[in-house]
Amino acid sequence: MNSNTFSRRNFFAGALGVGALLATTACGQSGGAAGSSAKITWSTWGTPEEGQRFKKFNAQFKTDHPTITATLQMVPSYSDYHSKLLTQLTSGTAPDVFYVGDDYIGKFVSSGVLMDLTPVVDGADAKVKLADFNPALFGAGKTDKGLFALPNDCNPDVFWFDKKALAAAGITENPADLAAAGIWTIETFLGMCAKLAAKGLHGAMFWNYWSTHWSWVAANGGQVFDAAGKFVLPEDPKSVAAIKSLADGFTSKSFTVADTLPDGSGADSLFVSHKAGFYVQGRYGIATAQQSGSKDDYDIAPWPTVSGKPGSSGVAASYLVINAKTKAADAAKTFVGDFLSAKGQTLRLADGGNAVPSVKGADSVVLDGNYPAHAKSFLDMTSAGFEDFAVEAKVPGLSSDVSTAMLGMYQGKTSPADTITAVSKLMQKAV
Amino acid sequence: MTAVLAKTRTPDAPPVERGEASWRKRDRWWGLVFVSPQLIGMCGFVLLPFAVGLVLAFAQWDGLTQLTWVGFANFQAELADPVFLRSIINTLVLALITVPVGLALSLLIAVALDKLRGRTGYLLLYFAPVMTSSIAISLVWQQILRADGPLNQAFSKVFGIPGPDWLGDPHFVLAAVSIVTIWSSLGLNVIIFLAGLQGINPHVLEAARVDGAGAFRTMMAIRLPLLSPVVFFSTVVAVISSFQTFDVVFVLTKNGGPDNSARTIVYQIYDEGFRHFQFGMASAASIILLVLTLVVTAVQLGLQRRFVHYES
Repeated sequence: MNSNTFSRRNFFAGALGVGALLATTACGQSGGAAGSSAKITWSTWGTPEEGQRFKKFNAQFKTDHPTITATLQMVPSYSDYHSKLLTQLTSGTAPDVFYVGDDYIGKFVSSGVLMDLTPVVDGADAKVKLADFNPALFGAGKTDKGLFALPNDCNPDVFWFDKKALAAAGITENPADLAAAGIWTIETFLGMCAKLAAKGLHGAMFWNYWSTHWSWVAANGGQVFDAAGKFVLPEDPKSVAAIKSLADGFTSKSFTVADTLPDGSGADSLFVSHKAGFYVQGRYGIATAQQSGSKDDYDIAPWPTVSGKPGSSGVAASYLVINAKTKAADAAKTFVGDFLSAKGQTLRLADGGNAVPSVKGADSVVLDGNYPAHAKSFLDMTSAGFEDFAVEAKVPGLSSDVSTAMLGMYQGKTSPADTITAVSKLMQKAV
Repeated sequence: MTAVLAKTRTPDAPPVERGEASWRKRDRWWGLVFVSPQLIGMCGFVLLPFAVGLVLAFAQWDGLTQLTWVGFANFQAELADPVFLRSIINTLVLALITVPVGLALSLLIAVALDKLRGRTGYLLLYFAPVMTSSIAISLVWQQILRADGPLNQAFSKVFGIPGPDWLGDPHFVLAAVSIVTIWSSLGLNVIIFLAGLQGINPHVLEAARVDGAGAFRTMMAIRLPLLSPVVFFSTVVAVISSFQTFDVVFVLTKNGGPDNSARTIVYQIYDEGFRHFQFGMASAASIILLVLTLVVTAVQLGLQRRFVHYES
């Protein structure tokens, strides 16, 4: 054989050599924490602006823990995030640490793919203690088998209101003042919405998701699930009446479903152009108000109640978890501890951040800057609020299916009675 | 030439046969090496997923925990689910709109371009959407079809009334999906039809002209029958393609459109698998889609004998 000829045997031998080299290199790059350094990946969803905050956190983490490198995998869209995560978990390529939304957390917890986080919040040197967390936020992340998810931060749905729009409709009362005086009633709120609608303005804009439906039921003194997790709304007269009044609000055009507004004139645009009185959303509403160029026209109030006294309403949360199959467990626990500590949350949420901290000791990020004027409501509503119910959060897509059923009612296509029946069937099917 | 070969091989036939056999054997191996990338891809991305899908159709599996065998329960549940039945109807309606309208338009354009000088430029224009990512196309159309988008602005200028909410009104969403689907697939069919038209023997057309047939008569009696195998091929491909509509619906609508008005079978498969984590149900739905596609294609093949003319 000519020495310049590349024989088949040589080719296979070469290929095997390259393969072995690559395999060895790959093993060396995996996140094993046995050596002095470790690499972890973590993933979340979010906007580019949120991505910048996370990168800032990563940089600080590297400074605090030079031996651990945390790499962020960001997915822009929340709706695509969990399907991608599921594929990664199935194929064994999931990140070491990842976010999970409150409507999926129950499923991930019950599937046994998450590590028990008790060691992260237990012990003298823990960066964040279990007692530091707002207990209302654990939701489906805490079970009798362990603590599998910890809330990153949260967003109570508050009533952002536009003083200018209210004034244009002849409304002289300030909802935040009424709430402070304990007379912020549903009747008063509905009266304001009717006046706004009569002036051709949007009364209140709601996002179609679990917090809207169930917060309204709670504000009216109703009950959605009982302590055993049974869907009791259809048997509770107050809840049934609440659903009917919610439907009436939408069909009478006092309320608007923010999701159905066209892109060019969406809820944000309407609110900043003073065409809506109320816009129900979380702390990320600060960014909306700032877009208007006159942010002092806006303030927040809690959900109104039948009595006018403060009640309980929905608090959206996301969770941080550790992949049970991570090869860098210690590094992952260190990362979670830092990320959720008061210092970590302050770093992520300060300067007009988009959420409310989930632990004690970081309240200053909400109160500093005194914006909005009644910013303390964020903290009060978080303390008194409730997370997505575990029964609903345990079944992927159920929350979304319920909202689809509710949308028909909001658009006047289905009656409240038929909608309650449809939602009951969804709950039964899911169970 | 043949005689020369025969003459050279005849005296020592056995050694030549051995050499040829050995060459063929070697050739076969190299043939396998050359097709192996395609073969591996086919096994990895078509046959294996199909086999797994077939198995999963009879199981309950969420992708995270162990699967449980459920027999035909997934099929029963799918066929009793009004949302899935709605997706079947939507898929069929979409095919009934996009296939005939798309093919008719393509044929008209191909006929117009057939004798046109400088048709390459037009062909490039028509073919550009075929080469463009369907996601990019859908995103652009999403802006065009907005309630306050340019299409409706033009509509209200011309007719003096506001245009429909293409993506928000359940009565119009499927029409919007159809428009985008037809527009984006037009170019491919134009190319195929144009190739078919140019393959028609000019002597036949000349004979028809001499016999006094006008343009319309020539089209109906000569060109269309001779083009029927091409039309048949395009119809089969277009029907299968419309049964697989997903990306346009995914980008253009929120969750399959209001009231599931644009939810197609493939969207339903995605929704059940990746949003509800019900891979058994999703697999059952995909098997039902396969059966539906096979039945419709078989009907088309049956009709072929009656309507398709093959030149002997």
